[in-house]
Amino acid sequence: MSKRETAWCPGCGNIQILSSLDKAIEEAGIDRKCMVLVSGIGQAAKLPHYTPSNVFNGLHGRALPAATGIKLANHELEVLITSGDGDMYGEGGNHFIHAIRRNIGIKALVHNNQVYGLTKGQASPTSDLGFETKIQTHGVASLPFNPLSIAIVERCSFVARSFAGDKDHLQEMMVAAFNHKGGFALLDILQPCVSFNTKNTYQWYRERVRHVDASHDPYDQTHALKLAGKWEEEIPIGIIYKDDRPSFESQLPMLSEKTLCEQY
Amino acid sequence: MHINLRIAGEAGQGVQTTGSLLVDALTSMGLYVFSTQSYMSRIRGGLNWFDIRISDQELFSGSDLADLLVALTEESLRELSSRVTKGGRVLFDGDSVSNGIAIGFRKVAKEASGSPLMANSVAAGAVFGLLGYDLDALCRHIAGVFKKKGAGSVEKNLACAHRGYEIAASNTPIRSPKGNGASAETYDGSTAVGLAAATAGIKFVTSYPMTPSTGTFTCLASLADEYGIVVEQAEDEIAAINMVCGACYAGVPAMTTTSGGGFALMTEGLSLAGMMELPAFVMLSQRPGPATGLPTRTGQEDLKFAVCAGHGEFPRAIFAPGSPEQAYELTRHALVTAHKYQTPAILMIDQFLADQRKNVAELSRESRPIDRHITACPSGDYRRYAVTSDGVSPRALPGGDVFVVSDSDEHTEEGHITEDLDVRVQLQEKRLRKGAAMTSDVLPPTRYGPVDADLLLISWGSTYGPCREAVDSLNASGHSAALLHFAQVWPLNPKVVRQALGSSGPSANRSARTICVENNATGQFASLLRERGILATCDLFLKYDGMPFTGEEIMGRVIE
Repeated sequence: MSKRETAWCPGCGNIQILSSLDKAIEEAGIDRKCMVLVSGIGQAAKLPHYTPSNVFNGLHGRALPAATGIKLANHELEVLITSGDGDMYGEGGNHFIHAIRRNIGIKALVHNNQVYGLTKGQASPTSDLGFETKIQTHGVASLPFNPLSIAIVERCSFVARSFAGDKDHLQEMMVAAFNHKGGFALLDILQPCVSFNTKNTYQWYRERVRHVDASHDPYDQTHALKLAGKWEEEIPIGIIYKDDRPSFESQLPMLSEKTLCEQY
Repeated sequence: MHINLRIAGEAGQGVQTTGSLLVDALTSMGLYVFSTQSYMSRIRGGLNWFDIRISDQELFSGSDLADLLVALTEESLRELSSRVTKGGRVLFDGDSVSNGIAIGFRKVAKEASGSPLMANSVAAGAVFGLLGYDLDALCRHIAGVFKKKGAGSVEKNLACAHRGYEIAASNTPIRSPKGNGASAETYDGSTAVGLAAATAGIKFVTSYPMTPSTGTFTCLASLADEYGIVVEQAEDEIAAINMVCGACYAGVPAMTTTSGGGFALMTEGLSLAGMMELPAFVMLSQRPGPATGLPTRTGQEDLKFAVCAGHGEFPRAIFAPGSPEQAYELTRHALVTAHKYQTPAILMIDQFLADQRKNVAELSRESRPIDRHITACPSGDYRRYAVTSDGVSPRALPGGDVFVVSDSDEHTEEGHITEDLDVRVQLQEKRLRKGAAMTSDVLPPTRYGPVDADLLLISWGSTYGPCREAVDSLNASGHSAALLHFAQVWPLNPKVVRQALGSSGPSANRSARTICVENNATGQFASLLRERGILATCDLFLKYDGMPFTGEEIMGRVIE
């Protein structure tokens, strides 16, 4: 399949995410024919069109339930979501909470650029306090949504964070997420938006991101929450939290021998 | 002949348990029954009733008046004793009543079994006593029901039924119909839809519970182990429809069940199914609106909403069964249609049909999966949305030899996002061609009654039964009436409808009066018929108080 021209701005963090994803898919040995890239709407959500794959580019905010339906119909498929912060944490916030509860075996790569790009620069659920836009003219007054903290409190089975400006780390985290076999995996990717986010730039992130210390035990929920809470001074990236609990699909007796699709 | 038995009381008092017990016992005797429920949106208290019409002929409708009212509370006695037929009787659960028979069911149960909990068996026994029915038939049924609770429970319940029977039988019995070989199998609409979906190969059902659709969701959950169905209670209706779309994309027949409010939340997902050409199936069980409306009552207010639901333009098929048997047939047919044309299908029922229970010829429980119309060996240059003459493109599944690309954005034949406006026009016309094909493949409306009738009733969905009874009563009393029932309400094919109208309607008898009977306030179906150029004008019989029509009521309105 020929490469399609992307709709992204030069220098966009999405470009690096796509490149790391291609490498991670190869490194993890994923058979692309058995992989479905699911997305909602937004600039990040266009990624599935730019790499050879089965694609379900659905509605804004609804990548998670669509991916859940796909995974339950055929749990042999590797189901990856690549979508943005508005899609996953704003419009799809309710599904985010419940996908983690279910622990459905989906890997969610969230391109978190803290701004709405496709609609040209409004605040997103993860925009920093005081972030000024053409809509939030006096600055954002609501506290930013902390996806990692929510996921950790809900005992998400795999929680990691990476940065689009650190391609080796990003690829490493993607591979770790793909290799996670115990249910839902969240990888929040800090992604600079060169057109609409003049605060959280490559430079701003580079000054703050720190690889999680090797001494951190990802099964330590209290310490994981502490790491997830860090932001303005220092932003930890790496595997923040893990929880060994059975995936949703592994608990369904109907799926113990064959996929639903094979049973038809 | 037929009589109407009404058991009324508070929620949580066993109105439904006693009613169900009696329905099963009566049908085991070869009697025809038609039961309906009227209940309030609460767990305890209030005024609920369970009607069982009993006959030696097949029944299709409920009845407003009761021949025997079994009142379990003072309130039900006060509210409903005016709705008893002339010569009808009242059986009151208490020490005394001025104009009926008083039997303290709980007291008698305690005397007969040591516990007041078996009051339902006393009541059932008393009903059998008053109707002069064979106590042994009731006892055989009670023994079957309570067998799993142990011999002690069977014995005590039988003692209660015997005692209730004895006390009531000392009164003059009510004239009642005799068994006439009716099928002992009964179904309500909810269960008929669930069984049909399971046997047709539904592999995934996900819903958010909402009255009156929950019965079907519950039924599918009870069938899940037997038929291999994954059942998931979604966090909301938006999740439910999007999960259904995902499951359809991955290759299994999938459905959701909901009512108007939930369906409103699903409309964006319905539009997604239209765009991605997925055979999403929705059972929409109606209740009166707007907004939360009357949660436990019936209505047919969502027709135009369903016809137009979802932004943009895409084809869909909408079916509206008129009976539990038809609900079984049409559930399967809706799934067949959705898969044949790769577009959403909606089955519209309502509280009246969901909860109505009647004898049916045996419904097959055999698994007969429908054809998913999947292309066996797609080639390397596979295009999921290839432009074809009938608009139906080859359907492959992810996980095979080719990539399957689906997008909610306008897309190329390959499925990739595009803003090429020529491609847009091509693809939109391709999708709409499926609608044209579906229009020439619709179920024709069914006629009932003489071809040259002076009066033609038009109905859709659940009003079939009451209209049919009205037609029979009118014709039996010297009038000349017929019925045209629409089980498929969208698309409407003017040619097909005119053919059906041709022999029984205005063109055969130009002076015939045509009346559209609908459980809504605006005559939505009549309006669709007008819009499609099928019927310029007709009279309307509308009802929007949350209660179903009865045959008597329609007849009354015709001859008034």
